[in-house]
Amino acid sequence: MPDVANVVFIVDDDQDIRTSLSRALRKRGFEVETFGSAREFLYAYDNAQVGCLVLDYGMPEMSGLELQQRLNEAGAPLELVFITGHGGVPESVQAIKSGAVNFLEKPFRQSDLVKNIQTALSLAGEKYERLQTHRQIRERFERLTAREEEIVAHMIARPAEVSSKEIANHLGISPRTVDHHRARILEKLEVNSVVELIDLASRLKDAV
Amino acid sequence: MRNSLGALLAIGLAGLQFLAVLAVVFSSYVTSESALLSHARDLLRDVGNNTIEHSRGFLRPARGAAELSARLAQNDVIASDNPVLLEKLIFQQLQLAPQFAGVFHGNEEGEFVYVMRTDDGPAPFRSKIIRVDGGVRTTELIWRNDDYSVVERRMDPEDTYDPRTRPWYQRARQELTTIWTDPYIFFSSQQPGITLASPVLSGPGSVRGIVGVDIEISDISDFLGRLRIGSTGKALIIHQNGDVIAHPEKDLLKTEAADGTLRFTNIRSFGDPIAQAAFSDLVRDGSEPADSAQLGQFEYRGETYVSVVMPEVSETLPWTFAAYAPESDFTAVIKHNRLINIWIAAMVAMITGICGLMLANYIHKPVRAFAVRSALISQGELDPSEPLPKTYQELERANTTLMQQIAARKETESEYGQTFALSSRGMVQIEPETGRFLRVNAKFCEMTGYSEEELKQMALADLVHPDDKPFLSWDGVSGEEPIEINHEMRCRCKDGGTIWIAVNGIFVHNQEGRVLHAVFTMDDITLNKRKEEQIAQLSRDLSNLSRDNTMGQMAAGLAHELNQPLTAIAQNADTALLTVKQAPEQHDDELREILEEIEAQSLRAGDIIRALRAFIRKDEGIRSAFDFAELVDQTKRLIIAEAHVVGARIETEIETLRPVMANRVQVAQVLVNLLRNALEALSETGDGPKVVTVSARQHGAEVLVCVTDTGPGVDPSIKLFSEFETTKTSGMGLGLSICRSMVEANGGQLWHEEATGPGARFCFTLNAVADA
Repeated sequence: MPDVANVVFIVDDDQDIRTSLSRALRKRGFEVETFGSAREFLYAYDNAQVGCLVLDYGMPEMSGLELQQRLNEAGAPLELVFITGHGGVPESVQAIKSGAVNFLEKPFRQSDLVKNIQTALSLAGEKYERLQTHRQIRERFERLTAREEEIVAHMIARPAEVSSKEIANHLGISPRTVDHHRARILEKLEVNSVVELIDLASRLKDAV
Repeated sequence: MRNSLGALLAIGLAGLQFLAVLAVVFSSYVTSESALLSHARDLLRDVGNNTIEHSRGFLRPARGAAELSARLAQNDVIASDNPVLLEKLIFQQLQLAPQFAGVFHGNEEGEFVYVMRTDDGPAPFRSKIIRVDGGVRTTELIWRNDDYSVVERRMDPEDTYDPRTRPWYQRARQELTTIWTDPYIFFSSQQPGITLASPVLSGPGSVRGIVGVDIEISDISDFLGRLRIGSTGKALIIHQNGDVIAHPEKDLLKTEAADGTLRFTNIRSFGDPIAQAAFSDLVRDGSEPADSAQLGQFEYRGETYVSVVMPEVSETLPWTFAAYAPESDFTAVIKHNRLINIWIAAMVAMITGICGLMLANYIHKPVRAFAVRSALISQGELDPSEPLPKTYQELERANTTLMQQIAARKETESEYGQTFALSSRGMVQIEPETGRFLRVNAKFCEMTGYSEEELKQMALADLVHPDDKPFLSWDGVSGEEPIEINHEMRCRCKDGGTIWIAVNGIFVHNQEGRVLHAVFTMDDITLNKRKEEQIAQLSRDLSNLSRDNTMGQMAAGLAHELNQPLTAIAQNADTALLTVKQAPEQHDDELREILEEIEAQSLRAGDIIRALRAFIRKDEGIRSAFDFAELVDQTKRLIIAEAHVVGARIETEIETLRPVMANRVQVAQVLVNLLRNALEALSETGDGPKVVTVSARQHGAEVLVCVTDTGPGVDPSIKLFSEFETTKTSGMGLGLSICRSMVEANGGQLWHEEATGPGARFCFTLNAVADA
């Protein structure tokens, strides 16, 4: 995991565009990888590499918007800059709504593109951090047994009824057992109190 | 019907009755009349015979007395020259017969003895004795009683009577036999009478004197008066010369002659006009009297009379008896009876007529009830299944048949009526002469907005749009009308709106070829017309769009294609510039300027292209919500002719969709293009089914449309959606590209989907209108 993300993926069906852009960006110190289609990119990308995706909006088969959708769903630590020869207001609005950094109409100034790539990379880094944290929290929750999950779920759902007795009544088990579980849960989730537990759970939920 | 039967029965019965009675009455009348008249004639004949016999009997004693006296004198039994003895003899003779008015004897010397009955003298008998003694003549008058005693005796010196001058004397002397004189009016008694004279012969051919007897014949008139001939019939006796010598009215017999003497009245001037009219001809024609009784009949002043004329009494008495009597004397009773009988017949007829009426009424009552019932049933006011009241067998059978017919007719009518009234199509029945509506159904009323009553006041021509010519004109019944018509008509509704109506109808003719009526079905084809119009409009729009779009797409395609190299140029220029900047030892201001300019120029070219695109984009039309299924239908109809040429079938599988929000014409263009591509692909296939399927389904907020064909599919080597690339010999390779750009312009996407089977499938999405 690099400290500063520096990878730029270029997806465009036009070979000349790919060539000129990759040359220019490498010249400026970016790591560049190029792909001729969305499928090609998806095939190569591992969903973990942090970077900026420069994406042609209008491509045959899978369009840029669709690829954006897929990546969002996969939780990839990527930020997108669209480039398009068909540029139009509705398309750009749609792209930016879906989380794209910008929407550049061809031809564009290299400086504009670089500026956008830099923004995107920085955002991608933050996104990576966020995703990492989220993953860690989730890993902690995944340590819980089914019974423990049940108790946690109850505590999250009813933050006012978290005494062992109340939980025991609810689940039909003895308060003593609940006390035992509670200690295990706090240990597994690496928190000191139920309040912290609920905060952790809410962070997980937000990220998702 | 009712009246005629009743009247027929009444008149028939009454008339028959009347005629029958009348026939009996008249037959009986005629028979009776004939019998009575026959009887009357017999009566008349009998009267005649009686009268003749009576007359003979009346006169016969006179002949006896006269001839006896003459013979006595002739044989000198009495001295005819002795007046005293002669008087006595004559007196005795006179007493013999009451009808003798007088008996007398005259001789050649002029002596005369006459004994007569008298009413005005002092005694019933008077004798007149004329003596001639030596040329001296004396006349003595002696009145005697029945016993011959003298009551008075005197002389009459003024008497000039000479028997020898008298006609009876001269005639008897000349004929030398007993003669009768014609009747005459006696001088002395002024009574009608007749004289019988018988000569007293002294030798052969010589006459001594004449004995005569005067007989008053008024007794015969009295006899006639006593005869009953009917009630008013009269008999009379006419002498040969026409004198009426006996008649019940004796005064009529005498008439005064010019010389003052009395004489008989001739029948021709007789005071009894009926007798005059009836019997004048007896004398006038002078014909020989008949040998037997002549029965006759004559009319006088409107009355019919029967008459009889008898033969002459005898040769010496040439008298004819005649009698007449009005027929009514004999037939009055039966005539009266006939009248009464006619009245009776009339009354019987009247009663029979009334009976007939009542009978007819009685007979007719069930018939009438049946007729009323039938009428009620035919008007639908009575249920035919209602039991028939008690009536005749014949009517019951008729009723059964009638009910069956009514039921059958009602069923037919009801079927027709229901077909007509409940039809989901407009139906009208039209009078052929005028085009007026005879019958319309509810659907037609609904179509036109007029009520049934209003339409029945109108003709078909009234509905035709004022701008159009009436397509049917009825100019009389020429038999030239078409048997059926199929026509589309623009119709003006009540609310002023216009609808199109398809008129299909038949004319119903009778056997003579005359049109009875026309039945039309009226279908509202306004929607169809509108759809056709919409499709035509769509077609026009599409051809416009197609032209505009090809231009626009060319520009857009060029722009995109140009933008790629421009981008590469700009990037490369910038990279080169960066390279120059990173190597200051090779610092070359001019090179940097050149590179900067290259970048600037390529960006400028991009700006120009952007401006051009913006300009084209402006034209992209307005989105609206529309029914996609309807658009598919219309598009299909536009392209169907091309499908037929290829021999392909276009099928649609369209689910229930929300309306889509897009530019309708552009979407239509996309569909047309995809369908045409599919049809072209199918035209290249040989055998096998040729089907193009358009399917559409709701997919979230979008509508997913797929056009699938059964053609050879897409050659994998072909780069689809690339402008200016085509497999077609003609074409610019813009079709799919334009489709994609149009779909994208409407917020959707268009792609080629790898089909699992053979053939190609192109899909695109459209935004649906959000659920309300």
